[in-house]
Amino acid sequence: GPMVPIRCPPNPPFLTSLAIRYHSISARESGVQVASPSENRVNLSQSCVERLKEIMEKGEYLRIQVEGGGCSGFQYKFSVDKVKNDDDRVFEQNGVGVVVDQDSLEFVKGSTLDYSQELIRSSFQVLKNPQADHGCSCGSSFSIKV
Amino acid sequence: VSRRKVLPARAALTLTPSAVNRIKQLLQERPESIGLKVGVRTRGCNGLTYTLDYTKQKEQSDEEVLQDGVRVFIEKKAQLTLLGTEMDFVETKLSSEFVFNNPNIKGTCGCGESFNV
Repeated sequence: GPMVPIRCPPNPPFLTSLAIRYHSISARESGVQVASPSENRVNLSQSCVERLKEIMEKGEYLRIQVEGGGCSGFQYKFSVDKVKNDDDRVFEQNGVGVVVDQDSLEFVKGSTLDYSQELIRSSFQVLKNPQADHGCSCGSSFSIKV
Repeated sequence: VSRRKVLPARAALTLTPSAVNRIKQLLQERPESIGLKVGVRTRGCNGLTYTLDYTKQKEQSDEEVLQDGVRVFIEKKAQLTLLGTEMDFVETKLSSEFVFNNPNIKGTCGCGESFNV
């Protein structure tokens, strides 16, 4: 018979496949409809905005990535980036910006990015993540709700 | 451990120059404090985590470390755990933290905040 061309999508990266799986489970079990736009973003706390104003040069963004790893399965990674990619979402507030790639956003949307200042350590933290179940004490690692 | 007869004479805690500078700076802003107190708490995925607080007085059971003009007190519960530890202060653009390089620990959490001995 004639050859039928089959289009194969590229292999989805690890996080994408998990995101899709998590998404379908969550939608099926909770009956939640499409997330409202306000939940499909990362919120920046006042201390986060103030700290970013202090440390970021013009054109620099704080990048949040979610990676597999840590004691609870997933962990947040923060870095400074000047490059925005096609799959990035940018959240700007008072002149400072945070970028999150679409795959990572599935794991952090609805949460608040904070700059926590304690005597022992000052660092950026993801707080009130609706996707995260119990995490590590330091908050850098978490497991997802299913 | 119980069979060991003599414990080597090690400093309970040593401070890196960066830690000394940071503690000096913190205490200048808090003249009512005489130093910092290091402790351990049961918390985290690996059993223990360090605590750090300002202190206004030395408790009887505290071990006092005086180095380069700054005082650090070690809570009784933390004294064995911390023996021989180096306290450092590490600053990057995105974070700044006191780090404890502890020769006694067997494992740490991914973030390094939690550990076991």
